[in-house]
Amino acid sequence: MTAFFLFVLITLTVLMLVYLYRVVRGPTAFDRVLGLNGISTKAIVLLVVIGTTFERVEMFVDISTGYALLNLVGALAIAKFLEERGEAGK
Amino acid sequence: MSWIAIGLIVVGLYFLVVGSIGMLRLPDVFSRAHALSLTDSLGALFVLVGLAVYEGFTTNFLRIIVVLALIYLLNPVIAHATVRAAYRSGLRPGKGGDQ
Amino acid sequence: MRILTAVILFALWLVLSSTFDLAHVAAGAVVAVLIAWMNPALPHMRRLSWPAAIAYQPWLLGRILKSGLHVSRLILDPKLPIAPKLISHQTSLRSDGELVALGNSITLTPGTITVEVAPGELIVHAIDEESGKDLLDGRFEAKISGVFAGQEDRR
Repeated sequence: MTAFFLFVLITLTVLMLVYLYRVVRGPTAFDRVLGLNGISTKAIVLLVVIGTTFERVEMFVDISTGYALLNLVGALAIAKFLEERGEAGK
Repeated sequence: MSWIAIGLIVVGLYFLVVGSIGMLRLPDVFSRAHALSLTDSLGALFVLVGLAVYEGFTTNFLRIIVVLALIYLLNPVIAHATVRAAYRSGLRPGKGGDQ
Repeated sequence: MRILTAVILFALWLVLSSTFDLAHVAAGAVVAVLIAWMNPALPHMRRLSWPAAIAYQPWLLGRILKSGLHVSRLILDPKLPIAPKLISHQTSLRSDGELVALGNSITLTPGTITVEVAPGELIVHAIDEESGKDLLDGRFEAKISGVFAGQEDRR
Protein backbone atom coordinates (compact mmCIF):
# COMPACT_ATOMS: atom_id res chain seq x y z
CA MET A 1 0.00 0.00 0.00
CA THR A 2 2.90 2.35 0.73
CA ALA A 3 4.18 1.83 -2.81
CA PHE A 4 0.79 2.85 -4.18
CA PHE A 5 0.72 5.98 -2.03
CA LEU A 6 4.23 6.87 -3.22
CA PHE A 7 3.00 6.52 -6.79
CA VAL A 8 0.08 8.86 -6.00
CA LEU A 9 2.47 11.38 -4.42
CA ILE A 10 4.80 11.35 -7.42
CA THR A 11 1.88 11.72 -9.85
CA LEU A 12 0.52 14.70 -7.90
CA THR A 13 3.96 16.34 -7.91
CA VAL A 14 4.33 15.90 -11.67
CA LEU A 15 0.86 17.39 -12.17
CA MET A 16 1.86 20.35 -10.02
CA LEU A 17 4.80 20.90 -12.40
CA VAL A 18 2.30 21.11 -15.29
CA TYR A 19 0.42 23.85 -13.45
CA LEU A 20 3.73 25.55 -12.67
CA TYR A 21 4.36 25.72 -16.42
CA ARG A 22 1.05 27.61 -16.74
CA VAL A 23 2.07 29.96 -13.92
CA VAL A 24 5.45 30.76 -15.50
CA ARG A 25 4.27 30.86 -19.12
CA GLY A 26 0.64 32.04 -18.81
CA PRO A 27 -0.01 34.91 -21.22
CA THR A 28 -2.17 36.93 -18.80
CA ALA A 29 -2.04 37.44 -15.06
CA PHE A 30 -5.33 35.56 -14.67
CA ASP A 31 -3.80 32.41 -16.13
CA ARG A 32 -1.14 32.64 -13.47
CA VAL A 33 -3.75 33.00 -10.71
CA LEU A 34 -5.65 30.00 -12.04
CA GLY A 35 -2.43 27.97 -12.16
CA LEU A 36 -1.65 28.90 -8.56
CA ASN A 37 -5.15 27.86 -7.54
CA GLY A 38 -4.67 24.51 -9.24
CA ILE A 39 -1.34 24.02 -7.46
CA SER A 40 -2.88 24.76 -4.09
CA THR A 41 -5.83 22.39 -4.63
CA LYS A 42 -3.29 19.70 -5.41
CA ALA A 43 -1.25 20.66 -2.37
CA ILE A 44 -4.31 20.17 -0.16
CA VAL A 45 -4.88 16.70 -1.60
CA LEU A 46 -1.13 16.00 -1.40
CA LEU A 47 -1.06 16.83 2.33
CA VAL A 48 -3.89 14.42 3.06
CA VAL A 49 -2.12 11.69 1.03
CA ILE A 50 1.11 12.32 2.98
CA GLY A 51 -0.87 12.06 6.21
CA THR A 52 -2.34 8.72 5.14
CA THR A 53 1.10 7.43 4.16
CA PHE A 54 2.59 8.25 7.57
CA GLU A 55 -0.64 7.30 9.44
CA ARG A 56 -0.90 10.78 10.96
CA VAL A 57 -4.01 11.99 9.13
CA GLU A 58 -5.30 14.01 12.10
CA MET A 59 -2.26 16.31 12.01
CA PHE A 60 -2.09 16.75 8.23
CA VAL A 61 -5.82 17.38 7.90
CA ASP A 62 -5.43 20.39 10.18
CA ILE A 63 -2.55 21.66 8.05
CA SER A 64 -4.50 21.23 4.83
CA THR A 65 -7.56 22.99 6.31
CA GLY A 66 -5.38 25.97 7.20
CA TYR A 67 -3.80 25.87 3.74
CA ALA A 68 -7.22 25.91 2.06
CA LEU A 69 -8.35 28.96 4.08
CA LEU A 70 -5.10 30.87 3.47
CA ASN A 71 -5.33 30.04 -0.23
CA LEU A 72 -8.85 31.52 -0.34
CA VAL A 73 -7.71 34.80 1.22
CA GLY A 74 -4.66 35.07 -1.04
CA ALA A 75 -6.51 34.26 -4.26
CA LEU A 76 -9.36 36.66 -3.47
CA ALA A 77 -6.87 39.44 -2.70
CA ILE A 78 -5.03 38.92 -6.00
CA ALA A 79 -8.29 38.73 -7.98
CA LYS A 80 -9.62 41.87 -6.33
CA PHE A 81 -6.38 43.73 -6.99
CA LEU A 82 -6.32 42.78 -10.65
CA GLU A 83 -9.98 43.74 -10.99
CA GLU A 84 -9.49 47.18 -9.42
CA ARG A 85 -6.45 47.84 -11.56
CA GLY A 86 -8.73 47.29 -14.52
CA GLU A 87 -6.42 46.28 -17.33
CA ALA A 88 -5.89 42.97 -19.05
CA GLY A 89 -2.67 42.62 -17.13
CA LYS A 90 0.41 41.40 -18.85
CA MET B 1 -11.77 -2.39 1.54
CA SER B 2 -8.40 -1.19 0.33
CA TRP B 3 -9.17 -2.30 -3.23
CA ILE B 4 -12.19 0.00 -3.29
CA ALA B 5 -9.92 2.79 -2.03
CA ILE B 6 -7.34 2.09 -4.74
CA GLY B 7 -10.06 2.12 -7.39
CA LEU B 8 -11.47 5.44 -6.22
CA ILE B 9 -8.02 7.05 -6.03
CA VAL B 10 -7.12 5.86 -9.53
CA VAL B 11 -10.35 7.34 -10.91
CA GLY B 12 -9.51 10.60 -9.12
CA LEU B 13 -5.99 10.60 -10.60
CA TYR B 14 -7.51 10.14 -14.07
CA PHE B 15 -9.57 13.32 -13.61
CA LEU B 16 -6.56 15.20 -12.19
CA VAL B 17 -4.46 14.21 -15.21
CA VAL B 18 -7.24 15.22 -17.62
CA GLY B 19 -7.55 18.56 -15.84
CA SER B 20 -3.81 19.18 -16.24
CA ILE B 21 -3.94 18.28 -19.94
CA GLY B 22 -6.81 20.72 -20.31
CA MET B 23 -4.80 23.39 -18.54
CA LEU B 24 -2.13 22.96 -21.23
CA ARG B 25 -4.36 22.56 -24.29
CA LEU B 26 -7.28 24.96 -23.83
CA PRO B 27 -6.92 28.35 -25.49
CA ASP B 28 -7.99 31.11 -23.07
CA VAL B 29 -8.55 31.98 -19.41
CA PHE B 30 -12.25 31.12 -19.41
CA SER B 31 -11.76 27.67 -20.91
CA ARG B 32 -8.85 26.93 -18.59
CA ALA B 33 -11.10 27.69 -15.65
CA HIS B 34 -13.29 24.77 -16.81
CA ALA B 35 -10.29 22.45 -16.69
CA LEU B 36 -9.57 23.71 -13.18
CA SER B 37 -13.15 23.11 -12.07
CA LEU B 38 -12.90 19.55 -13.40
CA THR B 39 -9.76 19.06 -11.29
CA ASP B 40 -11.31 20.59 -8.20
CA SER B 41 -14.66 18.92 -8.16
CA LEU B 42 -14.11 15.45 -9.55
CA GLY B 43 -10.38 14.81 -9.01
CA ALA B 44 -10.27 15.97 -5.41
CA LEU B 45 -13.63 14.29 -4.74
CA PHE B 46 -12.51 10.82 -5.81
CA VAL B 47 -9.01 10.99 -4.29
CA LEU B 48 -10.25 12.26 -0.93
CA VAL B 49 -13.19 9.83 -0.77
CA GLY B 50 -10.76 7.03 -1.62
CA LEU B 51 -8.46 8.08 1.22
CA ALA B 52 -11.43 8.34 3.59
CA VAL B 53 -12.57 4.83 2.68
CA TYR B 54 -9.00 3.59 3.22
CA GLU B 55 -9.00 5.14 6.70
CA GLY B 56 -12.19 3.26 7.56
CA PHE B 57 -15.15 4.70 9.39
CA THR B 58 -13.38 6.50 12.23
CA THR B 59 -13.06 10.19 13.07
CA ASN B 60 -10.40 10.44 10.35
CA PHE B 61 -13.12 9.63 7.83
CA LEU B 62 -15.12 12.63 9.06
CA ARG B 63 -12.06 14.89 9.00
CA ILE B 64 -11.30 14.11 5.38
CA ILE B 65 -14.96 14.80 4.58
CA VAL B 66 -14.56 18.20 6.30
CA VAL B 67 -11.60 19.01 4.01
CA LEU B 68 -13.68 17.92 1.02
CA ALA B 69 -16.58 20.15 2.07
CA LEU B 70 -14.14 23.05 2.44
CA ILE B 71 -12.83 22.49 -1.09
CA TYR B 72 -16.38 22.33 -2.43
CA LEU B 73 -17.33 25.60 -0.72
CA LEU B 74 -14.20 27.62 -1.43
CA ASN B 75 -12.87 26.64 -4.85
CA PRO B 76 -15.90 27.86 -6.85
CA VAL B 77 -15.53 31.20 -5.07
CA ILE B 78 -11.90 31.49 -6.18
CA ALA B 79 -12.68 30.41 -9.74
CA HIS B 80 -15.54 32.90 -9.95
CA ALA B 81 -13.44 35.75 -8.52
CA THR B 82 -10.63 35.12 -11.00
CA VAL B 83 -12.92 34.80 -14.01
CA ARG B 84 -14.91 37.88 -13.00
CA ALA B 85 -11.69 39.88 -12.66
CA ALA B 86 -10.68 38.74 -16.16
CA TYR B 87 -14.12 39.65 -17.53
CA ARG B 88 -14.22 43.08 -15.90
CA SER B 89 -10.75 43.99 -17.10
CA GLY B 90 -11.85 43.46 -20.65
CA LEU B 91 -10.89 39.91 -21.63
CA ARG B 92 -13.49 38.07 -23.70
CA PRO B 93 -13.60 34.39 -24.75
CA GLY B 94 -11.58 33.68 -27.83
CA LYS B 95 -9.13 36.49 -27.23
CA GLY B 96 -6.28 37.07 -24.87
CA GLY B 97 -4.48 33.76 -25.15
CA ASP B 98 -1.61 32.59 -27.28
CA GLN B 99 -2.04 28.84 -27.18
CA MET C 1 -31.74 29.02 15.54
CA ARG C 2 -28.73 30.01 17.62
CA ILE C 3 -28.93 26.68 19.41
CA LEU C 4 -28.64 24.95 16.03
CA THR C 5 -25.56 27.07 15.20
CA ALA C 6 -23.98 26.13 18.52
CA VAL C 7 -24.69 22.43 17.95
CA ILE C 8 -23.17 22.52 14.46
CA LEU C 9 -20.06 24.36 15.71
CA PHE C 10 -19.68 21.91 18.60
CA ALA C 11 -19.96 18.93 16.24
CA LEU C 12 -17.27 20.48 14.02
CA TRP C 13 -15.05 20.93 17.08
CA LEU C 14 -15.55 17.29 18.09
CA VAL C 15 -14.69 16.06 14.59
CA LEU C 16 -11.59 18.22 14.26
CA SER C 17 -10.16 17.66 17.74
CA SER C 18 -11.53 14.14 18.46
CA THR C 19 -9.99 13.98 21.90
CA PHE C 20 -12.82 13.15 24.24
CA ASP C 21 -11.44 14.05 27.66
CA LEU C 22 -13.31 16.52 29.83
CA ALA C 23 -11.08 19.56 29.26
CA HIS C 24 -11.26 19.46 25.45
CA VAL C 25 -15.00 18.80 25.25
CA ALA C 26 -15.79 21.48 27.84
CA ALA C 27 -13.61 24.05 26.05
CA GLY C 28 -15.31 23.23 22.76
CA ALA C 29 -18.79 23.57 24.28
CA VAL C 30 -17.93 26.94 25.85
CA VAL C 31 -16.43 28.31 22.63
CA ALA C 32 -19.35 27.06 20.50
CA VAL C 33 -21.94 28.62 22.80
CA LEU C 34 -20.01 31.89 23.00
CA ILE C 35 -19.71 32.19 19.22
CA ALA C 36 -23.38 31.36 18.67
CA TRP C 37 -24.37 33.86 21.37
CA MET C 38 -22.23 36.71 20.05
CA ASN C 39 -23.12 36.42 16.38
CA PRO C 40 -26.54 37.00 14.88
CA ALA C 41 -27.91 33.94 13.12
CA LEU C 42 -27.25 33.80 9.39
CA PRO C 43 -30.33 35.33 7.73
CA HIS C 44 -30.67 32.59 5.15
CA MET C 45 -30.42 29.71 7.58
CA ARG C 46 -33.89 30.54 8.81
CA ARG C 47 -35.40 29.74 5.44
CA LEU C 48 -33.39 26.59 4.77
CA SER C 49 -35.41 23.42 4.46
CA TRP C 50 -32.99 20.78 5.67
CA PRO C 51 -34.40 17.66 3.93
CA ALA C 52 -34.32 19.45 0.57
CA ALA C 53 -30.80 20.78 1.27
CA ILE C 54 -29.54 17.28 2.04
CA ALA C 55 -31.34 15.74 -0.95
CA TYR C 56 -29.78 18.44 -3.16
CA GLN C 57 -26.21 17.22 -2.55
CA PRO C 58 -26.42 13.76 -4.21
CA TRP C 59 -28.35 15.29 -7.11
CA LEU C 60 -25.61 17.90 -7.58
CA LEU C 61 -22.95 15.17 -7.40
CA GLY C 62 -24.72 13.21 -10.13
CA ARG C 63 -24.89 16.34 -12.26
CA ILE C 64 -21.18 17.05 -11.68
CA LEU C 65 -20.24 13.49 -12.61
CA LYS C 66 -22.23 13.58 -15.84
CA SER C 67 -20.87 16.90 -17.07
CA GLY C 68 -17.37 16.04 -15.82
CA LEU C 69 -17.29 12.98 -18.05
CA HIS C 70 -18.51 15.13 -20.94
CA VAL C 71 -15.80 17.78 -20.38
CA SER C 72 -13.04 15.20 -20.00
CA ARG C 73 -14.12 13.66 -23.31
CA LEU C 74 -13.89 17.12 -24.88
CA ILE C 75 -10.40 17.73 -23.50
CA LEU C 76 -9.04 14.36 -24.59
CA ASP C 77 -10.50 14.67 -28.10
CA PRO C 78 -7.56 15.34 -30.48
CA LYS C 79 -9.62 17.91 -32.45
CA LEU C 80 -10.55 19.84 -29.26
CA PRO C 81 -14.17 20.51 -30.33
CA ILE C 82 -14.94 23.34 -27.94
CA ALA C 83 -17.23 26.28 -28.70
CA PRO C 84 -16.85 28.65 -25.75
CA LYS C 85 -19.42 31.42 -25.42
CA LEU C 86 -21.06 33.66 -22.86
CA ILE C 87 -24.71 33.02 -22.05
CA SER C 88 -26.94 35.55 -20.34
CA HIS C 89 -29.04 33.41 -18.06
CA GLN C 90 -32.27 34.90 -16.72
CA THR C 91 -33.29 33.50 -13.39
CA SER C 92 -36.29 33.94 -11.14
CA LEU C 93 -34.16 33.79 -8.00
CA ARG C 94 -33.62 37.10 -6.24
CA SER C 95 -32.27 36.76 -2.71
CA ASP C 96 -28.57 36.59 -1.89
CA GLY C 97 -28.63 33.07 -0.48
CA GLU C 98 -30.33 31.64 -3.53
CA LEU C 99 -27.97 33.44 -5.90
CA VAL C 100 -24.92 32.21 -3.99
CA ALA C 101 -26.20 28.63 -4.06
CA LEU C 102 -27.02 28.86 -7.78
CA GLY C 103 -23.71 30.50 -8.74
CA ASN C 104 -21.70 28.09 -6.65
CA SER C 105 -23.47 25.07 -8.14
CA ILE C 106 -23.00 26.36 -11.68
CA THR C 107 -19.31 27.01 -11.12
CA LEU C 108 -18.83 23.65 -9.45
CA THR C 109 -20.32 21.84 -12.44
CA PRO C 110 -17.55 21.37 -15.02
CA GLY C 111 -18.35 23.05 -18.31
CA THR C 112 -20.13 26.09 -16.92
CA ILE C 113 -18.72 29.00 -14.91
CA THR C 114 -20.53 31.97 -13.42
CA VAL C 115 -18.82 35.12 -14.70
CA GLU C 116 -21.03 37.91 -13.40
CA VAL C 117 -23.91 37.93 -10.92
CA ALA C 118 -26.79 40.38 -10.60
CA PRO C 119 -30.24 39.80 -9.09
CA GLY C 120 -32.25 38.04 -11.78
CA GLU C 121 -29.40 37.66 -14.26
CA LEU C 122 -26.26 35.56 -14.40
CA ILE C 123 -23.64 35.72 -17.13
CA VAL C 124 -22.42 32.17 -17.57
CA HIS C 125 -19.49 30.95 -19.63
CA ALA C 126 -20.17 27.57 -21.21
CA ILE C 127 -17.49 25.51 -22.89
CA ASP C 128 -19.76 24.07 -25.59
CA GLU C 129 -23.40 23.84 -26.70
CA GLU C 130 -24.29 20.81 -24.64
CA SER C 131 -23.05 22.28 -21.34
CA GLY C 132 -25.02 25.45 -22.06
CA LYS C 133 -28.19 23.49 -22.89
CA ASP C 134 -27.73 21.52 -19.70
CA LEU C 135 -27.96 24.70 -17.68
CA LEU C 136 -30.96 26.24 -19.38
CA ASP C 137 -33.50 23.55 -18.53
CA GLY C 138 -34.20 25.32 -15.22
CA ARG C 139 -33.73 22.29 -12.98
CA PHE C 140 -31.16 24.16 -10.84
CA GLU C 141 -33.69 26.89 -10.09
CA ALA C 142 -36.43 24.40 -9.20
CA LYS C 143 -34.16 22.52 -6.79
CA ILE C 144 -32.72 25.65 -5.17
CA SER C 145 -36.07 27.34 -4.63
CA GLY C 146 -37.07 24.08 -2.95
CA VAL C 147 -34.03 24.31 -0.68
CA PHE C 148 -34.89 27.88 0.34
CA ALA C 149 -38.53 27.09 0.90
CA GLY C 150 -39.20 28.96 4.14
CA GLN C 151 -40.75 32.37 4.59
CA GLU C 152 -38.88 35.40 3.30
CA ASP C 153 -37.37 37.07 6.32
CA ARG C 154 -38.11 40.80 6.43
CA ARG C 155 -36.17 42.63 9.10
